[in-house]
Amino acid sequence: MTQTSEQAVPITTGRPSDDPLAIEVRDLHVRYGDFEAVRGIDLDVRRGEIFALLGTNGAGKTTILEVLEGFGRRSGGTVSVLGFDPATHRSLLIELMGIQLQDGGFIDELTVLETLQLWQRLIDRPDRPERLLERFELGGRRDVHVGKLSGGEKRRLDLALAVWGSPQLVILDEPTTGLDPESRRRTWDAIQELQEAGRTVVLTTHYLEEAEALANRVAIMHEGRVAVAGTLAEIVATQPASFSATLPAEVTQLPALPGLTRTESGVRVRTDDLQRDLTAFLSWAADRRVRLSDLRAAPASLADIYYAVRTEQTKEVQR
Amino acid sequence: MSDRILALATTETKLVLRNKTVAVSSVVLPVTLGIFWIFSFSSGDERPWGTIVALQLAVVLAMSVYVTATQTVVARRHHRVLKRLRTSGISDTGLLVATMAPGVAIGLIQLLIFTVINAIVGAPLPTDPLPLVLALLGGLALSVTAALATSVVTPSPERAQITTLPLTFVLLGGAIALSIVPLEGWWQALVAVPGASIGQLSLFAFAGGTWSDGLGGLPAVAALLIWPVVFGTLAHRRFRWDPRN
Repeated sequence: MTQTSEQAVPITTGRPSDDPLAIEVRDLHVRYGDFEAVRGIDLDVRRGEIFALLGTNGAGKTTILEVLEGFGRRSGGTVSVLGFDPATHRSLLIELMGIQLQDGGFIDELTVLETLQLWQRLIDRPDRPERLLERFELGGRRDVHVGKLSGGEKRRLDLALAVWGSPQLVILDEPTTGLDPESRRRTWDAIQELQEAGRTVVLTTHYLEEAEALANRVAIMHEGRVAVAGTLAEIVATQPASFSATLPAEVTQLPALPGLTRTESGVRVRTDDLQRDLTAFLSWAADRRVRLSDLRAAPASLADIYYAVRTEQTKEVQR
Repeated sequence: MSDRILALATTETKLVLRNKTVAVSSVVLPVTLGIFWIFSFSSGDERPWGTIVALQLAVVLAMSVYVTATQTVVARRHHRVLKRLRTSGISDTGLLVATMAPGVAIGLIQLLIFTVINAIVGAPLPTDPLPLVLALLGGLALSVTAALATSVVTPSPERAQITTLPLTFVLLGGAIALSIVPLEGWWQALVAVPGASIGQLSLFAFAGGTWSDGLGGLPAVAALLIWPVVFGTLAHRRFRWDPRN
């Protein structure tokens, strides 16, 4: 019911701006009574990229999306989406954005086709129900009431509404939650198609492999804060790499390497300098003619980062 | 903009008519009650048409407009339909207007049916139609703003059956009280009750004297203006689009 004032705007709607950032968030705070759901967040999302917000339930991901969409009220900070403040220019932004909700929101008594036809009459961006029925493989379910669709079919219909008319910015809240692997793969394809068409995509997800497969850049949230953000390579570089090997049972003396731990059948080494420490380890094995089996070296994975974020912040809270 | 409201309002109306339970509760029941009152006031030579029309107006505004609008808004919010539709191009005001439009449309159709039946049974034309028009417009404003205000305290569609009862009784009770209580002395304060103010304006429409004797119908008009402002202000401050917030 909050009325918003629409004033003269800095850019022409519906056209790409020169600003390389689609979204710019500075020191965002969102408070519900005594509870602070978002605690001073900075975010940049570049035009044409897929940006993933990761985090546990309650981390504040959906709250941030609601602020970006203009539906949530911020307690502090500044937010710019496609050059507009969503708190004061929501009705303008809605014409440029496609939004997929986390769940629900359909009128169950309408058929799939009726839902798309209603959307066609409510939205300015031109598109055709038939195209989306075909694209999201819902043609065979066009006359089925939405309430009778499977979870996966509902998510596909949800995505069809979000990408209606190919908006400049698409915001997807957990787009593949509850989908089987095949449906998830199809959804990823659709999201990548959006990027190929030059659209910006912001998505939240619980699935690390989804972020790895889709996102150009990632932010991992925990308890209302962005713990780490950047490209996958940048994020991975914040955590030690590791290598491991199985040693013969008779080897009892181990090399003096920092970060080395003994495992059931050998050793594991966490290191900030993989090349240096791995070279030292291989030299040690060569000098002593130790036969290494199952030697593996890898940078930190997104999963390692994710769990490290949770553990470190939990430790902070405990301290 | 109006195209979007019309598109959604048409869809909502279709859905109300598809739902047999809602259709019965919002169409058949009020019409039956309205007709019942015509024949329950047939003891004398002439029927008290002011009171009959007051009761018909009250039952339509309470049961068709107010209850239906509350149930629809709460159900749409509960299932996050309001939230999703806000992501389309329709404005917030347009969304609420379209969501409540079926209740208003059904109410107006019922009143049209009553008008035809009343005319067939021999109802005279009102002496002064203006108070009746004011009662209708004020009553509609009261019903839709009250529906939005009631949705604030209604967490689920099931609860709407309970939370709409008090105002439904007040609207019907106020209108019925007119036929029992003489509106003199302190009883005149009764006109502040929403149903009673609608009823009194209906009585003035058939008896005349709305603007002549003392204050006439002014207190009833004032009451009809105040209640929508009160409910509208409450809804504006507390209305929720999302069941989670």
